[in-house]
Order: sequence, then structure tokens, then C-alpha cells
Amino acid sequence: MTFTRWLRRLAPLMVCLVLLVTACSSAPSKYDQVQKDTTGFGSPAAVDKKAEKGGTFNAFFPGDQGGYKVIPYQEKKGFAEYKLEQDGKALAMLTISDTTSIPASAAKYSTATETVSGFPTVDQGTTATGVLVNDRYQVKVLSRDPSFTKADRVAWLQKFDLQGLAQLKGAINPVITPTVALPESPTTATPAAPARPKDGFKLPRVQLPRPSPSLQPAS
Amino acid sequence: MSKKIYEIVDKLPTGGLTVRALKTLDTVVPGQWNNLVGFDNTIKTVTGETDEAMVQAIGERAIALFNDKKQGYQSALWLYHTVDSASGLLGAAALANRIGQDTFLGFLKNLSPKPEKAQTIDLAVKLVTEVVAFCKISGIPGDSLGDFLAALGDYSSESLVRMAALVSFDGIIPLGADFSTKALNAIKGMGPGDLDNNQTFKGVKAEIPGGNDKAKLSFMTESFESTKGWMDHFVRDHNITQSGLVDNLGGFIEGSKSKLDYLGAFLDMSVKYYEHTGTQTLARRLIERAVAEI
Repeated sequence: MTFTRWLRRLAPLMVCLVLLVTACSSAPSKYDQVQKDTTGFGSPAAVDKKAEKGGTFNAFFPGDQGGYKVIPYQEKKGFAEYKLEQDGKALAMLTISDTTSIPASAAKYSTATETVSGFPTVDQGTTATGVLVNDRYQVKVLSRDPSFTKADRVAWLQKFDLQGLAQLKGAINPVITPTVALPESPTTATPAAPARPKDGFKLPRVQLPRPSPSLQPAS
Repeated sequence: MSKKIYEIVDKLPTGGLTVRALKTLDTVVPGQWNNLVGFDNTIKTVTGETDEAMVQAIGERAIALFNDKKQGYQSALWLYHTVDSASGLLGAAALANRIGQDTFLGFLKNLSPKPEKAQTIDLAVKLVTEVVAFCKISGIPGDSLGDFLAALGDYSSESLVRMAALVSFDGIIPLGADFSTKALNAIKGMGPGDLDNNQTFKGVKAEIPGGNDKAKLSFMTESFESTKGWMDHFVRDHNITQSGLVDNLGGFIEGSKSKLDYLGAFLDMSVKYYEHTGTQTLARRLIERAVAEI
């Protein structure tokens, strides 16, 4: 009898405890695995040490033109981003990133069947079009307004100084061999070697003027 | 245990005092802020992508970037969260319990208005927090005021409403229409010793540029002086007045019109607008970068 009485008193307590424990533990998420993989001791850095400084990319973005404004937005190691605006409305984001940190980003161009200015190009999702320069630098235009179509994205990709970007170092660990003819750029890049221009002799690395205003990397 | 950015964004509230207070600023910056919450929802809204595999890939890259401490996103989030909790250390939970049980005036009797000096330091610290956190997120050096000011001119959505809230809730309501001049003069007359007892400053001082409190105060003063013109223009261009703001807040904070100094203290402790909109800004930038890099 005494035992039953204790059990009756304990039961609500146990129920509360169970409720408390289940309330504290969050529901499983589809992002739990990546969270686990990218935290804790020995987890890989999101950005490779050898990635190019974001500030280096500034020189290769198009500038303001016509009624379009190209506004600095983000600049991190291996990445630079500008916003394309017309009449104060964001039309697209213009970006250059170093795929050294994410080889899969470069690998997707291995199946490209088209080129833009001689560089392999792919569409990604419904709002992005990119090209890969030197098997390493991904240049993307991402629509932010429905009126900004794929044709606009390709047109703005062509406004980047892609040939200038091709004079930066090539892929550290080349992962792809373009399957398409690249009339204006080398088809493969040797590790750490400067890309060859289309006329076949070596040019010195060109320091192009930085657009103003420009961002400086935080670190 | 590391914070999970996707959970933080998923748990952003859709209602409550912070959201209601921020929504009153729609009259100041119409259509700028739509309280974007939820990690996947933010990805879809920011990028326009609906394909689940793309959303997953963008989310995974964003999480990896956030979890890499060197990228600066974690310390930016810490700044946005800390400056809010440090400035409103009084019991927000107690407040929540009181509201609805008796009149708001009844609660206000137990609340002390914040001295003007403390309010001024709060305003300056919050402004410098924006400079540092925004620079961390965007990749601008934390002491590069020129680049920050250029970016400020292009602020939109949650970033713009955060600045509108700073000017309104921490400037005009507690300090009056000439808050920027009043605050700048006050800061210029302060020494490092004045910061010692300010909870807001103490909360985030480690991240304010400067080797000691004197240098930090100097950077705060410089930040305020550089941004004053933007704030004055903002107030003038958007026709922000103390009475207009209080009228809007009066819609859900009963009895606040005649107790402006108390209203400032109340907003300070119960409206976490830096934490809320700072998280939204951070999520947006992370996602913008992630979708470009994958």
C-alpha cells in the first residue's frame, strides 16, 4: 500500500520530468549533420587558407553604367559581392568567389556545354548563372528581380573583366577538364601557374585600378 | 555547444513587444521591413530559389560559414545580442507578467527612468556596435568609418529599420528632437571614467576598437560625430517627431504618452530590436554569400 501511495505521488513528477526533457531537446533538423560536421575540434575551416583575398577581385567587377549602379556589398577572404541597382531597386547580385574552398563549386562546370566570353558557363537553380575562370574563380550573376532574366545575367557576366581575372593564379588542385572549346582562355590550368592569355605569351600580372568606393578585407 | 544559426533564425518571433514596436516604424520607413523569420524561409525569400535541393545546399554553406569563427559572423551576432541584453538588464520577464494584469501605469511606478547620461552612452554604444557588427558581417575593417558611412547610405530592409529604431527609441523618445546634438556634446564632455558603470558599454567593450577605455571612447565619439549628419538627415527626411512616435507606440503601450522618460526605459528593457533585426541582417548576408559560393 505504501509503495502504491509513493508511486501515485511520484507519477506526476515523472511526467513533468519527461515533459521537461523532451521540451529541452530540439526537434531534429535537416541541418543537424552539417552543424555536427562544421563544429567542434578539428572541424574544417569554411574558407581555405590559400583562397585569394576578396579585395583582389574588386578590380574585375563592372562599374556604374547608364542608369545602373554597382554598389559594394560584401568582401571576405575568397569572396566579393556587389549589388546591381537601377532607380534604387536591387536587380541582381554580382559576385566573384574562389572555389579553392569548395571544389564542388568548380566541378559543376565540368559538364558545361556553353561558354560566355570563352569560359564554361552553367545555370544554377532558377536565378543564377555563373562562369568559371582559370578552373578556379567563379563569377556569378544572381537575379533579385523577376524582370532580370537569364539574358540579362549573361550580358552582365560579359561586363566583368574576365580576361583580367584569368591572369590571377590558376586552380591549386584542378578538379576539372572543360569539355568545351574555350577559344579565348586556356583549357587547363597548371597548379600555381599564371594563366596564359590567348596570344600565347606570358604577360606580367596587371594591377588594375580599384573601383571607388572599395571595401577592404577585415582580416 | 555552438549556437545553431538555423535554430536562432527559426526561433525569431513573429509577435511580441519587439515585433510590434518595430512595426510602428512602418510609418517612418514604409514597406522596408516585413519581419522575415525562419531559416529556409529566409533562404527562399532572399534568393528567390524554391528548389529544395538548392535551398539545402545554400543552407549548408551558410551554416559552415557561420560556424567558422574566423569569418566574424559569430562575433557580430554576439554583439547584436549582447548590446540589447546589456542595455535592458531590468526584468523583462517581470514586465511581461505585469502587462495585462493591471494598468501599465501601475507597472511604470516601479520602473526608474534611465538618467540622461546613461541613455546617451547607450545610444553611442549601440551606434558603435552597429559600426563594428556591420563591418564584421560585410568584411569592412571595424574601424573604417568611411566605408561604413558609404554602406549606411545603402541600408535597406531590417538594417534600415534597426537604424530607424536606434534614432527613434534610443534617440528621439528619451532625449528629444535635438538628441544627436545633445548626445554628441555630452559624449565629448565625458572621460573614460564615465563609461565604467555603464552596463551597455561593459557588455560589448571587448569588441569596440581601441586599446583602452580612453581610445574606445574616442572611437565612439568619432563614430557618433561621423554618423550625426546621416541621423539628422534621416530624421528630417522621414519627418520623425517625438509625438508621432509616441502616438504610434501608444496604440499598444497604454498610458505611455504622458510618461516619456519611463517609455524610454520601458522600450530599453523590453524591445530587443538589435538582437532581432541584427540576426535577420546576419542571416541575409550569410545566405547571399552562400548562394554565390556554392
